[in-house]
Amino acid sequence: MTRLKTLLTSAALFAALGVTGAMAEVTVLGWPGGPEEAGLRKAADAYNATASDADKVKLIFFNRDGFFDKLAADLAAGSTDFDVNLLATYALGRYAPFMDPITLPDADKATFPEKVLATMQYDGKQYGIPTDLSLHFMYYRTDLIEKLLSDADWKAKYGEISEKYLGKKLEPKDPDAWTWEDWMATALFFTKSINSDSPTRYGTVLQMKNLLFNMMVWHSVARAQGGDWMNDKGEITVDSPAYRTALDIYKKLYDEGTSPKDSTTYEFAESNAAFGAGQVATMVQWNAAFGDLDNKEKTPAVAGKIGTVAPPAGPEGRFTHIHGLGLGINKASKNKEGAVRFLNWLGTPDAMEIYAKAGGSPALSDEVVAKVSAERPDLVKLGQFAGAYGFVMHGGTAAKALQVYELQAKEFTAYWAGDKSLDEALAATKSGMAELLKP
Amino acid sequence: MPRTSRFEGRLLIAPLTAFLIALLGFPLVLDIIYSISRVGFENIRAPEPIGLSNYAKAIADPEFWAAAWFSLRFGLIVSVIQVVAGLGLAVFLAPLFAKRPWLIALLMLPMMVAPALVGLMYRLILHEFVGAVPYYLLEWYGDFPAFLGRDWAFTTLVVVETLQWTPFALLILHSSYAAISPDVREAAALDGARGRRLFLNIDLPLMMPAIGITFFIRFIDSFRVFDNLYTLVGPGAGGSTTSMSIYIYQAFFKVGDIGLAVAASMLLLVASFVVLWVINGLTARKAPL
Repeated sequence: MTRLKTLLTSAALFAALGVTGAMAEVTVLGWPGGPEEAGLRKAADAYNATASDADKVKLIFFNRDGFFDKLAADLAAGSTDFDVNLLATYALGRYAPFMDPITLPDADKATFPEKVLATMQYDGKQYGIPTDLSLHFMYYRTDLIEKLLSDADWKAKYGEISEKYLGKKLEPKDPDAWTWEDWMATALFFTKSINSDSPTRYGTVLQMKNLLFNMMVWHSVARAQGGDWMNDKGEITVDSPAYRTALDIYKKLYDEGTSPKDSTTYEFAESNAAFGAGQVATMVQWNAAFGDLDNKEKTPAVAGKIGTVAPPAGPEGRFTHIHGLGLGINKASKNKEGAVRFLNWLGTPDAMEIYAKAGGSPALSDEVVAKVSAERPDLVKLGQFAGAYGFVMHGGTAAKALQVYELQAKEFTAYWAGDKSLDEALAATKSGMAELLKP
Repeated sequence: MPRTSRFEGRLLIAPLTAFLIALLGFPLVLDIIYSISRVGFENIRAPEPIGLSNYAKAIADPEFWAAAWFSLRFGLIVSVIQVVAGLGLAVFLAPLFAKRPWLIALLMLPMMVAPALVGLMYRLILHEFVGAVPYYLLEWYGDFPAFLGRDWAFTTLVVVETLQWTPFALLILHSSYAAISPDVREAAALDGARGRRLFLNIDLPLMMPAIGITFFIRFIDSFRVFDNLYTLVGPGAGGSTTSMSIYIYQAFFKVGDIGLAVAASMLLLVASFVVLWVINGLTARKAPL
């Protein structure tokens, strides 16, 4: 009996402590299982070292599978289990009704380039601190391009191939000066079935699986041609010459055999495997791929021979799709003051320095990134490219933006695989988007 | 039946009935509500009734029928192949199994692997740059097909499903074949039946119930294919490898149209019920009096 009483008393005490603790803390729901989690843990430790008890941060994570759907259901249900939660650019519109906008202090505004802050904005309001950014690099083999730029025979062959397949004689250029046409010519040149002297089997590897993230990669081509989801009037503009040109660039490269036959099932991992095998000369890929590809133990065939530049230019300029992960405030939070204080701190240069050094990938302004460039040289290009070339499609943060990506993935892969004509694919995309993006 | 016995019978079956109502009845009621509502993750606790619109939307959606056709075609083809292969192996390997029964355990191993992992495994094996199959085909013949591409994806899926689940057919059909009394075969042999005639006139008719059940189980399992298909090729270019399960999954999780997804699954449930009811009726009619 005495033991039972002791147990009950202990349980009551623990419960009381638990309740008090929960009320005093700022609970943060982060993105689990990657460098983002490692970065957030370090940042939270640093914050907690000086924060008052009421402001101490407690981190929680749940599985990545279905994360955004579970989060949407929790937010819609008015969950108070967390005060601060993860945000993603492409899901902003979905979460915005259940979150509080934030006002960034001046110190935080100076930490990030304007375009990076915009990845966390919806309807003119800032909803989060942009903690991580994803964009695209044009990856290329430096050894092959150096030879192409210096070898007279290769140059002559390059001219012949470009004339035969693209209808105009082109000369090899430095990748940083490429147009999408130059990239096509390079991809054709380094394809074994077209040029038997090519040291690689394929000139490029295209990610053409019916998957929404592959549409983000392709959007960098579309935007450079002047493509957008809709105009200022809210009219869907995908059935445009720009979209047609960009879709045909992929179609032609695939049909000519410059990309592996199974490319219609390729995504991030398959493309890296192809490039890492040393059988691909160029590829448009997420910035996150660089670390593994340049690792001598993981991909000895190409490590140390990889160059990265921003994606090529089109008639409308040079662009890279960007999207961010960030942290914002749950509208139902019981400790909004504490949450605001944490987010204000997280956006400071010092906090982002801790976050970046622990593995996070924030896109930072030039002054801030200089402090971490020795340890994270990749972040220098990330910030520069995001600031100079980053874009978000008009409507890319809408409530149903993810569904738009899904729709485009389905229709455009049907065109690339030869199941639908370009007109059919664009018409279906246009009508579907009109339904999804209607006010 | 006396009244007390009837009461006791009902009393005894009550816990099972209550369990079934809780286990099947509640989700079914919830599904019916969702299927006649406009519901997404944002209003999952407060669905908005809209009548039968979701059913109409599913029936009018060509992709719903394309997915149903894909599943039906896939289910029928792989079930037939698995049953024929399983039957062949059960008959031809019967003498071997009689001497070395442990071989059966070895052949069952593919069934022990989770289908999702099987999909991932073949994704690696068939990948041009890391997979063994394209590598050797390229070495020997200088070319290889795009196993996961538009033209080959269905065939690849059929092969993968067959390799994993033929052992299941083999297991049941081997048990059935082994259960045929030697006396029956001996009697047939005395009447002059040998080889193919013995198999077609004696073994096969006696195995027909087991063959039918095996086909039925494999068809159900293959019709609702999801895991290996999803990890291997996903919905495919333009949705070309979208099965019913993937259609429902996409509508639920990717598009967020929970009402449509549940309505589609309810239509599938009704169709399954009709098929089961017909089969049950046929079986009952053939049962001995």
